[in-house]
Amino acid sequence: MRSHRRWSYLAIVTVLALIVAACAGDEGGDTTAPPGTDGPTDTSEPSTETTEPSTETTEPSGEPIRIGGTLALTGFLAATGVIHQAVGEVFVERLNEQGGLLGRPVEWVLLDDESAPDQSAAAYERLITENEVDLVIGPYGTGNITAAMAVAERYGYVFPHHTASLTYAYNYACHFSSWSTGLHPNLTNPNLVYDALESSGTPPETIGFVVNEFPGTMFISYGQDGTDEGGAVAEAVKRGWDVVLDITFPTATTDWAPIAAQIRDADPDFLYIAGLGVDAPNIITAMQAIDYLPAGMFSQWPAPGPLLNTEGADGMMSVTIFEEHPPFTDDPEVVEVAGLINEALAAAGIPYTKVETQAAASWTAWEYLQQAAEGAGSLDQQAMCDWLLENGADTLFHGDIQFFADEQNYYVDLSKVKQIQDGDWWVVYPEEFAAPGRSVIYSP
Amino acid sequence: MELLAQGIASGVLIGGLYALMALGLSLSWGALKIINLAHFSFILLSAYLVYQLTVSYEVDPLLTTIIVVPLFFVVGALMQVLFHLANVDEFKSLIVSFGIFIILQSLMRTIWSADFRRIGSDLNPYETESIFIGNIALPLPQLVAFGAAVLIAAAMSLLLSRSYFGKAVRAVAQDADMARAFGIDSRRVAVILSGLTTAFSALAGVFIAVGQTLFPGLAVSWFGIVFSVVILGGLGHTVGALTAGVTVGVAAGASAVIWGPLAAPLVTFVILIAALLFRPEGLITSRSVA
Repeated sequence: MRSHRRWSYLAIVTVLALIVAACAGDEGGDTTAPPGTDGPTDTSEPSTETTEPSTETTEPSGEPIRIGGTLALTGFLAATGVIHQAVGEVFVERLNEQGGLLGRPVEWVLLDDESAPDQSAAAYERLITENEVDLVIGPYGTGNITAAMAVAERYGYVFPHHTASLTYAYNYACHFSSWSTGLHPNLTNPNLVYDALESSGTPPETIGFVVNEFPGTMFISYGQDGTDEGGAVAEAVKRGWDVVLDITFPTATTDWAPIAAQIRDADPDFLYIAGLGVDAPNIITAMQAIDYLPAGMFSQWPAPGPLLNTEGADGMMSVTIFEEHPPFTDDPEVVEVAGLINEALAAAGIPYTKVETQAAASWTAWEYLQQAAEGAGSLDQQAMCDWLLENGADTLFHGDIQFFADEQNYYVDLSKVKQIQDGDWWVVYPEEFAAPGRSVIYSP
Repeated sequence: MELLAQGIASGVLIGGLYALMALGLSLSWGALKIINLAHFSFILLSAYLVYQLTVSYEVDPLLTTIIVVPLFFVVGALMQVLFHLANVDEFKSLIVSFGIFIILQSLMRTIWSADFRRIGSDLNPYETESIFIGNIALPLPQLVAFGAAVLIAAAMSLLLSRSYFGKAVRAVAQDADMARAFGIDSRRVAVILSGLTTAFSALAGVFIAVGQTLFPGLAVSWFGIVFSVVILGGLGHTVGALTAGVTVGVAAGASAVIWGPLAAPLVTFVILIAALLFRPEGLITSRSVA
């Protein structure tokens, strides 16, 4: 009897372990880009937070406009979710200080989706039907955005969102992505990086790929499933570069040494890490441990802070839509807002407080919502949607953005190549966006 | 061939870290009948403390062992006292320790935020250091972790089989009431053992902090691999945990270089399922406390 009970517990815990391991999915949040299709990793109850309107300068008046949304405040995407929370709070506070929206104060009804797409969808359903919010803003994380978008579409809500990576999957007529990667980042992103390498005058002859199994990085590397469009690997082949390594690794990888050994064995001139979060620091550390580093490296969507702290990461390239240096900071208002965000991120305990892709995309999504309402002159969802489609948006961090209906509302790819040089991130390509005195450093 | 050798060598060493992470859980489950899910939070909490001590006071991260290990011994001992007071049995321990796990996860998220934390290379001289045998690299942090796992497994095996305390632990594990009837202070034995198992988790945390980037969700990623090692090794079996850790590490490392990294978790769980089917008592059955 006792033995039977013991084995029952063993079975329960084994099943529990397998479920939790499966749910772990990702290796953590991602502070530059868009993870997110796995299940929950945290069971805490969803919380509600509301940003109260401020009345310091111009008094907004009347019934508050309630904007509903979720963010990954807990769970494996929380590292980036908190960045979006801090940026949203700054935006709403500033908006209320400047007179509110349509003269009314704004309240942000924020729920925690626990990094889980099913929670996200359920929360948006609740926000729209029970909380009866006036507007919605997207969550963080590809899976969560995808799930929430379906709910927004069902109720006809305008749906601005931040950093979803599966561009081809979003065909809702009123979705507006603030991460301007274009509809085909699987082609434009790698080619931008390859052009940057060519600009060095000494492009690689061999290239290796290590690809996170995450849907977004698989899309960038190999293109959309079921099409022959290809991605980073195929584009490298088109340039005549010899692909000497092409391996895919699980999102929950804990042992990086075998991957590092395979990279050393292939010895590529350039290593393309189609990873996110802390994949790149982990791979670099594992390669350093076996006394190996390739001549050049790229990481698709890394957490920028930890990479700067990683020995051997100097020269690492990545993509970005904004960095906190000239020419991006030539506009004094950009500097002012970036300063507010820096302070908010520091107050939230975020170690890397500079504005880059995530924070910039977050701010832009809020601008879409504000301009759509002000442009339409009402909170009518269809009128707001039509106004954005017709007029685009004038954004602080990216200038004028248009929404091409025949490109599923995507604009062109505004990505730039950044590189770690002298212990910090600098945009180095295209030349007109490069930080003063900076250019691509690469020599195989 | 060199690639495979490197994969196996890395597997052996990472297996040591897996074993170190599993030792405390295995002993707690096998001897105390406590399925301590909070063990994973203790490992991560220890890692965060090492991180904080290192970046705040610029101390050598490995030296922090002398602070975190005794500290966690006390924490583990106090937890066992509370378990006694609350009369927590094997099944309740699953629920209670899961609650502690959630509380500690929230605490860590509150203190260190959900963002990534990593000890900078200027403060962490071990991160990329290796010893080479020919062209095969043995990363120093994993080598030290492996050495620690071997020492602890051997020492605990000797302690449990040769000392009065070990006999008392085994007696309590087999039948606590009968052990008490023979004059063994089962509560005291349990408190000391709980302190030891939690101290082992703290030691594992030191090596995690030295070699990895920390974030609150990291603890969840260890569940599958650590439970596999505990079950493969046999409950309460220290040498078994080490053997299982190395087995899992080597199988995952070798399969990763032969079939690609995606094969590693598949191979690990095939081994686990095979073991549950054909050897449910664990790889090694002698000298287990359970």
